[in-house]
Amino acid sequence: MAEAIQKKLQSELEKYQQLQKDVSKSMSARQKLEAQLTENNIVKEELALLDIQNTVYKLIGPVLVKQDLDEAKATVSKRLEYINGEIQRYETLLKEMERKSEQHREVLSSLQHVNIFCFEMPQAADM
Amino acid sequence: MASVHDQMAAAGKVKRSKDLPQGVERLKEEHRKVVKDCRSQIEHWKKVENDYESLQERLRTLPDKLSYDIMVPFGPLAFMPGKLVHTNELTVLLGDNWFAKCSAKQADALVEHRKKHVKNTLDDLQKVMKNFQNRADFTDDLEKLTGDTGDFVDIREEVINEEEVTKGKHRLAHKANSKPKQVYLLELEEDKEKKEGDDERTTGVLSEEELWARLDELERQEELQDERYRLDSTDTNGEDTTSSSEEEKEADGGSDVQVNGHQKENGWLPTSITSQMNGTNGSHPEDEEEEDCDEEAGNGLPTIYFSHTAEFKKVRINTGKNTTLKFSERNEQKAQAKRKKKSGKSNGHSPHESYKITSPADIYRVFVDLVNGEPIPRKSILKSRSRENSMCSDTSESSTADFEERRAAFGRSWSHDDATHSDTSDGITEEESPTGTSPRTNGRFEAFTGTVIEKDPLPCSIPHLTIAPPALPTIPERKLEEVGPEAPQEPPKRMSKFKATQLHQK
Repeated sequence: MAEAIQKKLQSELEKYQQLQKDVSKSMSARQKLEAQLTENNIVKEELALLDIQNTVYKLIGPVLVKQDLDEAKATVSKRLEYINGEIQRYETLLKEMERKSEQHREVLSSLQHVNIFCFEMPQAADM
Repeated sequence: MASVHDQMAAAGKVKRSKDLPQGVERLKEEHRKVVKDCRSQIEHWKKVENDYESLQERLRTLPDKLSYDIMVPFGPLAFMPGKLVHTNELTVLLGDNWFAKCSAKQADALVEHRKKHVKNTLDDLQKVMKNFQNRADFTDDLEKLTGDTGDFVDIREEVINEEEVTKGKHRLAHKANSKPKQVYLLELEEDKEKKEGDDERTTGVLSEEELWARLDELERQEELQDERYRLDSTDTNGEDTTSSSEEEKEADGGSDVQVNGHQKENGWLPTSITSQMNGTNGSHPEDEEEEDCDEEAGNGLPTIYFSHTAEFKKVRINTGKNTTLKFSERNEQKAQAKRKKKSGKSNGHSPHESYKITSPADIYRVFVDLVNGEPIPRKSILKSRSRENSMCSDTSESSTADFEERRAAFGRSWSHDDATHSDTSDGITEEESPTGTSPRTNGRFEAFTGTVIEKDPLPCSIPHLTIAPPALPTIPERKLEEVGPEAPQEPPKRMSKFKATQLHQK
């Protein structure tokens, strides 16, 4: 019985670790998104500083493609919205994962207790 | 598997025993890490800012020439001579794969805008760093605190007898409309209440009889309070005097505590009940609290037991000549019982000296109330304290006010006050008898403020004052008039102080 519990403990532990990894991944993705957010904000502000005379280019691969100033502004705004939405999504995802990992933690701790208990007794008996 | 279990158990045990210092260490480490991070980031951003600065410089000088002769980098390892043309046309990276063709000046503006962002980031980082630095310092302090090292001392105040906290009435502020500085009033009120509460908390330390004495005193104070309120409503004169004394007090130290005078309380708070005393506080005006440095080791932290005292109140009295006297008051009974060292300050005037009146200031010295056998100077001789205790007293302010009122009304026996004045030379012992009789005469007879020199024979020729004469000419005359009739007339009515002293004299 004790060994069964041990096995259970191990599997739970693995699951928990997996969950933790996912959490950290989501976290880093979210951070990247945040960086992009700030960058796009700066671009938006700088585009506002330019006038129609300046030609705006977009780098697509190795090519600089000419863009219209207004078009560029619209594009940047759209991108900003998109990024915000992504961030929201990741937020909810993170919360969900946190909750799950919490559950797993509880399970793990309870298993641990049982495990220790089980082990103490036979060991005491052995001695 | 057994080994795993063992490991866990062992780890748990180890953690338990070294929990606190380990935790603190870990916390400190985290703090330090954050601070280090912040520092490196700040450095990075500072470098960025410097780069932008030099870029701006370059932008300013670039359009100076139409073309520059330069060494153009050719691949990673070579250069070749070339020309830099179109010096005003710049392709600027705006971020996120966007480019814009601008002139040098426009590029300059863009760079300026970016520098703003960098500055903001730098500021934030600085704040974070400072924050975490503070946290680290705090944990250091905390460690020292718990570890019993350093200069931290735990100050405690024992609250023993909660019932006593609000004996009697709470002190209330006077009418708002009459006093200009109401704010102080309210604050002081709370302070006072708290202090009073604190005062009484330490009761348990004292003996029974001291306790009773204290209760009696509190009752008396309560009565005084009542009296004052009553008088206050009718008394305009009195307010002036109190306000002057108030001003005095405020000039004293400016703290809220000193606005005692506002409340028309006798400037002497309920006498203290202390377990230990520091004698040095006599030098602090209106020092109601004394810290008792009673260090007790053994709590893990040196502890100072603190109790409030109201003892050393210095009262400044406006003696009318813009001079002030300071008295310190002490409740001998209680203090001596428990005090480690005697307070340095005591009422400097011996009873007998005080009766030698050579200047108006001396009058104030004479006007002392006796509280439990101790002469306590009065804040204002126009205000009356309990008639029982005042020796010369009762030239209370109430008296003066009422005096004005009833001046025209009727003559009265100028009671005990005057008598005691004349009898000042007889010493303090006289007060006992007036004490017993004065309550009865309290409300009705106004005291006379001034030195009275008694003339030898009771002039019986002076017209009797039973009839209410119109406004009497002068006070002394009235007094004289009074003296005569008083003796034969009054005894059945009441025992005035004057009478009492007369009897005593005989």
